[in-house]
Amino acid sequence: MLSIYRLTLRQLSSPGRVGIMFVLAIMPVVIAAMVLADNDTMSLTEFEQFVLSTMLAGSIVPLVVLAIATSAFGNEIEDRTLANLTLAPIPRWRIAAAKLLASITIAGPLVVLSAVATAHVAFLGEWNATIAVAAGAAAAVVMYASLFVWLGLASAQAVGVGLLYIVLWEGFFAQFVAGVRLLSIRYYAVALMHGLDERRFEVYDHASLAAAIVMTSLVTGGFLLLAIRRLRRMDVP
Amino acid sequence: MTGNGLPGVRPNARETPVIRVDGVSRWFGSVVAVSDVTFDVMPGITGLLGPNGAGKTTLLRMMTGLAKTSRGTVTVFGEAVRDNPPLYRRIGVMSEHETVYGFMKGREFVTMMGRLRGVRDIETAVDRAIEIVDLADAQHRQMSTYSRGMRQRMRLAGTLVHDPELLILDEPLNGADPRQRVHFKHLLETLAAEGRTIVLSSHILEEVEQLADTVLLVVNGKLAASGGFRAIRAALNQRPYHVRVLCDSPRKLAAGVVKLDSVDAVHIDPDGAMVVLSRNVLDLQIELPRLAKAENVSLRRMEPLDDSLESVFGYLVET
Repeated sequence: MLSIYRLTLRQLSSPGRVGIMFVLAIMPVVIAAMVLADNDTMSLTEFEQFVLSTMLAGSIVPLVVLAIATSAFGNEIEDRTLANLTLAPIPRWRIAAAKLLASITIAGPLVVLSAVATAHVAFLGEWNATIAVAAGAAAAVVMYASLFVWLGLASAQAVGVGLLYIVLWEGFFAQFVAGVRLLSIRYYAVALMHGLDERRFEVYDHASLAAAIVMTSLVTGGFLLLAIRRLRRMDVP
Repeated sequence: MTGNGLPGVRPNARETPVIRVDGVSRWFGSVVAVSDVTFDVMPGITGLLGPNGAGKTTLLRMMTGLAKTSRGTVTVFGEAVRDNPPLYRRIGVMSEHETVYGFMKGREFVTMMGRLRGVRDIETAVDRAIEIVDLADAQHRQMSTYSRGMRQRMRLAGTLVHDPELLILDEPLNGADPRQRVHFKHLLETLAAEGRTIVLSSHILEEVEQLADTVLLVVNGKLAASGGFRAIRAALNQRPYHVRVLCDSPRKLAAGVVKLDSVDAVHIDPDGAMVVLSRNVLDLQIELPRLAKAENVSLRRMEPLDDSLESVFGYLVET
């Protein structure tokens, strides 16, 4: 499992890819600084809603993770090197788990650092709020990574499908159609932020912290199981 | 090895096949890639031969468990090969795709392949595998700098690193130069002499003839023939050939050619070339120049019209 993890880290950490992720990850920090510089731009509630929920949890995190996690298997399928792994005497769950861990390892630190910096700037060094935002972002990374690792195995157009999912499902339906947000990753990531610092995100109708933790586990485990199932049943190119 | 084609050579009934392909078909939508193929593979070198697009790779992929069958079963060492990872401790597979991890050095790649396959004394195993493919000098270079042939050889080292009992190699000689081909031939002979089973595919008749003890001929997704190469060669020799002959007086030469024992029929094409139908091209090659000399006809060229692999396979399918 360690060999696959290391291999995937090397595959995913090309300078170009990391550069694009860095640019994406720094955007919320820049916006937070701009908001802070101009007190009239938006209220704290609006900031929480727009920058933390919509932008960070609903756009930046999924986009960064999409770029990484869909490539975990997608690149190997495209290069036709996946057979090097599937023709080894290794249980399929280890292959999928190593790919997921590597995706989280690459995407996680950037996203969490971005969340920490954004929250720290916005909440003027208030550590409770900062930790809550970082934990919510980390949970979002784990859930999105599991979803997109599976998507990279399930679809040859994983990036396109993933973008549609982010824009339509997480960005539009989850925000404007009642009930849909119960099936959105962003909802549970924000619920986790709220659960760890209850003063934040009061504008939302939240799930409880326990529900957020359970759903984070279910979403992550569920898509990991789907990836393992797919790996066992698919024709490996 | 046994097959459902012709001419077949049945193995010793007491021997257990290493690979058993039983009534296997595979279709993609309405396209049938492999149709009801049955054969056994015994220890030694078996060549899977067929023109491009015949279904060799699909068949090999099902034999390795990479692809599922639409119908039928494939067993390796008596066990179902599909979704059976522990079996890969005993199998080494080199696919036809030449993509490598360009960012890796050759030795890193072989080491990774060994680790994935649970090799214990990894350094010794990697040294041995790289030594076998004669790439010790290039092992510390990035694989992106390798030539096509070197990449193939390093991939072969990765396939051999866990010392598998069964080797399945899809078009392994792609990109190899003549020296590498000779080296590869000796290597396969050595591995087979050690009791291993080797299955290799190729679309080049001569390549398989040199390497394989037994041959599986695949055409249009079906097993056209199987058995020893001599038996298949004998079948090929009975095949009628069209030979095009260019000379300065085709009608005069045709009158004599039609009387030769090696000739079945003769006709003159509109462009003036003589086309001879013969079941014994070797005799024709000797008799025709003699006849031309006797008739004082200047012979310019003789060429087979249907010597492509596809036409050879086509003949075997029709037989």
